[in-house]
Amino acid sequence: MTEAVTIAPETQAEIDRWLKKYPTDRKQSAVLQALMFVQRDNGGWLSEAHLNAIADYLELPRIAVYEVATFYDMYDLKPVGKNKIDVCTNISCKLCGCDKIVSHLEKRLGIKIGETTSDGRYTLKGVECLAACVGAPMMQINDLEYHEKLTPEKVDAILDRLEKEGDK
Amino acid sequence: MKRLIKTVKSFTLWELFQGLFVTGRAFFGKKITIQYPEEETPISPRFRGMLALRRYPNGEERCIACKLCEAVCPAAAITIESEEREDGSRRTTKYEIDAFKCINCGFCEEACPVDSIVLTPEMHYHIENRGDNILTKEKLLAIGDLYEERLAADRAADEKYR
Amino acid sequence: MFTIEINGKSVEANDGQMVIDAADAAGIYIPRFCYHKKLSVAANCRMCLVEVEKMGKPVPACATPAVSGMKVFTQSQKALDAQKAVMEFLLINHPLDCPICDQGGECELQDLALCYGEDVGRYTEGKRAVADEDIGPLVATEMTRCIHCTRCVRFGTEIAGFRELGMTGRGEKSRIGTYVKHFMQSEVSGNIIDLCPVGALTSKPYRFTARAWEMSQHRSIAPHDCLGSNIYVHTRGYEYSDFREVMRVIPRENESINETWLSDRDRFSYEGLHKDHRLTGPMIRKEGKWLQVDWPTALNFAANKLRDIINSKKPDQLAAIASPSSTLEELYLLQKIVRDLGSNNIDHRLHQSDFSQQENAPLFPGMSTELASIDSMDAILLVGSDIRREQPLAGLRVRKACLNGATIMRIGSIDHDVNFKLSENVHTTPSTLVESLQAVVDSLTSDANKSSIAKHLKNSEKSLIILGDEAQSHSQATLVRALCLEIAKLSNAKIAIMTLGANSAGAWIAGAVPHRKAAGENSSAVGLNAQTMFSQPRAAYILLNVEPEHDLIHSSTAIAALMAADFVMSLSPYMSPVHADLADVLLPIAPFTETDGTFVNVEGKWQSFNAVSPPYGEVRPGWKVLRVFGNLLELNGYDYICASEVRNELEKLLQHSNVPTDRTSLEKNTSNKPKGFEILYEWPAVCVDNVSRRANALQSILMPLQRTVSISSETAKDLGIQSEQLITLKQSDREITVPARIDARIPNTCVLVPKGVSLTSGFGDGFAEITVQRGESHA
Repeated sequence: MTEAVTIAPETQAEIDRWLKKYPTDRKQSAVLQALMFVQRDNGGWLSEAHLNAIADYLELPRIAVYEVATFYDMYDLKPVGKNKIDVCTNISCKLCGCDKIVSHLEKRLGIKIGETTSDGRYTLKGVECLAACVGAPMMQINDLEYHEKLTPEKVDAILDRLEKEGDK
Repeated sequence: MKRLIKTVKSFTLWELFQGLFVTGRAFFGKKITIQYPEEETPISPRFRGMLALRRYPNGEERCIACKLCEAVCPAAAITIESEEREDGSRRTTKYEIDAFKCINCGFCEEACPVDSIVLTPEMHYHIENRGDNILTKEKLLAIGDLYEERLAADRAADEKYR
Repeated sequence: MFTIEINGKSVEANDGQMVIDAADAAGIYIPRFCYHKKLSVAANCRMCLVEVEKMGKPVPACATPAVSGMKVFTQSQKALDAQKAVMEFLLINHPLDCPICDQGGECELQDLALCYGEDVGRYTEGKRAVADEDIGPLVATEMTRCIHCTRCVRFGTEIAGFRELGMTGRGEKSRIGTYVKHFMQSEVSGNIIDLCPVGALTSKPYRFTARAWEMSQHRSIAPHDCLGSNIYVHTRGYEYSDFREVMRVIPRENESINETWLSDRDRFSYEGLHKDHRLTGPMIRKEGKWLQVDWPTALNFAANKLRDIINSKKPDQLAAIASPSSTLEELYLLQKIVRDLGSNNIDHRLHQSDFSQQENAPLFPGMSTELASIDSMDAILLVGSDIRREQPLAGLRVRKACLNGATIMRIGSIDHDVNFKLSENVHTTPSTLVESLQAVVDSLTSDANKSSIAKHLKNSEKSLIILGDEAQSHSQATLVRALCLEIAKLSNAKIAIMTLGANSAGAWIAGAVPHRKAAGENSSAVGLNAQTMFSQPRAAYILLNVEPEHDLIHSSTAIAALMAADFVMSLSPYMSPVHADLADVLLPIAPFTETDGTFVNVEGKWQSFNAVSPPYGEVRPGWKVLRVFGNLLELNGYDYICASEVRNELEKLLQHSNVPTDRTSLEKNTSNKPKGFEILYEWPAVCVDNVSRRANALQSILMPLQRTVSISSETAKDLGIQSEQLITLKQSDREITVPARIDARIPNTCVLVPKGVSLTSGFGDGFAEITVQRGESHA
């Protein structure tokens, strides 16, 4: 059994703001935002208990929330490291050589795709298209920064910067 | 002239010697007769004799109870009962072939997706008691074990034609 | 209505109709996996791609509305290429394990792969494998075979109201499952087995036991509820041999009854027919020992005994009780024998305690409308009904009505969980049920103080009142019914009395009631009913398909009376331990798969069926046994040759009889609230009759709720016990100590006794006073 968690009141207010945008009988529409907010509050990942809490809050069957959470790459269902590196491995990036970027990252971080470094600083993920095919191959850092037209050197520079920021 | 030749041939026993020559050729030539049953002729790897059930090299029975042999058998000689074995795999609880009904057509072997039911090269078999004509699963597996080497070799030899 | 052209043939289509529907109606087959006429359109398998003139790409026929003048080509090169490409993609991840797959031989993917598949696959990469989930004892999963058509998910969401299955993950990683391990708890979960176009969801009890091509298909009628769902029974084995066995049951489409669905109880109860449970031949008890004898011996023994008793005592010393799941023919012949012997003591109302005004009852209790009309009701009031479990497919219709916008309301003592929205839920105790109904009547008669239930019923054009088992087994059942009739009259509603068993209506028509002969003809003398025939013990009893320890609401009195009787004869396919104790003759009669018969459903629809396999061993069909028995008793008119002759005789009687109408009047009888505890009975859905009680897989889904006696949390507090601790129930000299469970469904000062389970075997004496105490030992 997973322990029950409750959604913080502030987060509830945020979800409610989104709920207002949709018809009252379409609470399911707010599930993406709800997942986002709860993930943010929980340090970047969602446990089964969180999913259940969201389902209960939105009065949805649990499976409806599981379906969404497992579909999108932006939701993590396992704890993630301090820095989350999402490398696009979809078709455009694949054709433009994302494999090289992935293997370089794997070598440098010493982990395989989908893993977190033992010091908990980096999580490496292969994700689906992030809508930046024009700059393929690309990756996203911490759900915020896009880095395009990557080369191993460029990746090294980005990681060096992250490392430096992490030392602060 | 014709008459003369005929007369000479009949006086010199020409046809007799001609016949004896054939005898002599066979007498001194390579022998093809074999001393059955002490000796046997070689048989094709496709020979369709006694039936058997085979096992995998690790001892696991091959049969998965798909019942295709039962369905294809033109003589309705095969009876199968199946259920889920404890480990969750599909197995027969009863696999019987009535040897009286079997016409050795080999359709079952052709239908079998796992090479389990096979026709062995064995043709010498008999029964002594009524009821022995029913080849049970145990009997069939035992026959398979007995002939496994030969069965595997035959199937390997015939591989490219299958 | 307009015409479209499919493959050069002009076809009629309606507005908004999809191309695939129009093609189906015209008999043109378009391959499909995800499309199902009873489910929403998903268009995710893409197998139904067809070419439409002036449309660039092939379009899915299931999601393309027909438009006037449209030209569709289902077999053009473009369409075929598209279908073949889809098939190749579907087969990429589908395992090649047809030989061990239960769906093999009846698999939609297998069939279509034969038509559209290539003989050699071009895919050489690794195939996907998916871990299976255990979703309960009825449905086996093999999720690697899944092609993600989502029929099961849509069935759960749209029809059955369980949103437990879903598709998680994405792309190649997507899978159907429950995400967290979870048992499916639905009364109709078995339907996903039929819906699954591949072998991903198969039947667990049937698993690996037979192949589709080995079986013969027989039409039959489901024997467990009053709907009379149409079924196909699949049997295997030589036609006239003992080896012929029922392998499974699947639904037979009948739009007016079961649509394309079947309840789990009807689908999996066939396990109870298995030989292991059955009597193989007639048995008589001699000097306390059971002897297996032949039919002449057993029947002569019974006939002599019965004659002796009737000659030495009075004919009214004979009583007969029959299960309402017996066939019309059996019930008719049984009442004929009992009446010809001079007794009127016959009844089938096993759960009933209130028999007042029985002479005012209609020909049979049932529906004043059709089952299919439930769908289009605007308001439905459930009175003491757990429709979801009692009549699962009627429950689906109520749910459908609810989704169509109907207001569903309920008055009842047990707060059953439902899979539709209850707008009004009046949770009563058994004694306040009547008051609640009276309140509805009152507010319908006087304009002021309208209860919202009354308002909804009054304001709805089409409304229906459904009476469930609790309403019928209520201690004031007649008053409950009269009140419901009154409500129906005042609000212009229809009424549906969802009776017990498959053939309650048939039992009334056949005359298996003490006050009426066959075809509703009034009997000059009124015999003893299901309660009084035991409270005033008789010398001889005949039991037809009845297990007194489970089936009767008055079990304890009945068992005492049967034990004391001189002679008890039981006709049943089974021998229960209680039968062994109290019967003198056991005559094994055939269950529904082995006899010809007729069930009359709640609408009054007569549905006959034939035996699907020969009777097992020395078992004989009930109507034949009773026919011969009648002859042995030297009664006249028992020379039937086939079951349909019996049916025809009854039909003829019905034509010439004055069919009684419902004249139940509202008689206010003073309801005296019992002191102390009130008793509630519940027959769990899978324990309703002798067949379903022996179906192993069904029994294993018995919820823990039904393995205990339920009490409310406040009652538990008063008694000072916690959940799962023992309590002692005492009623009419019988005492049982059983685990109790705190159950939110139960009102205070009530105790819910599950019947039909071994826990309470032989317990229960209607609504006699019950005492509840802490049990002896505490764990």
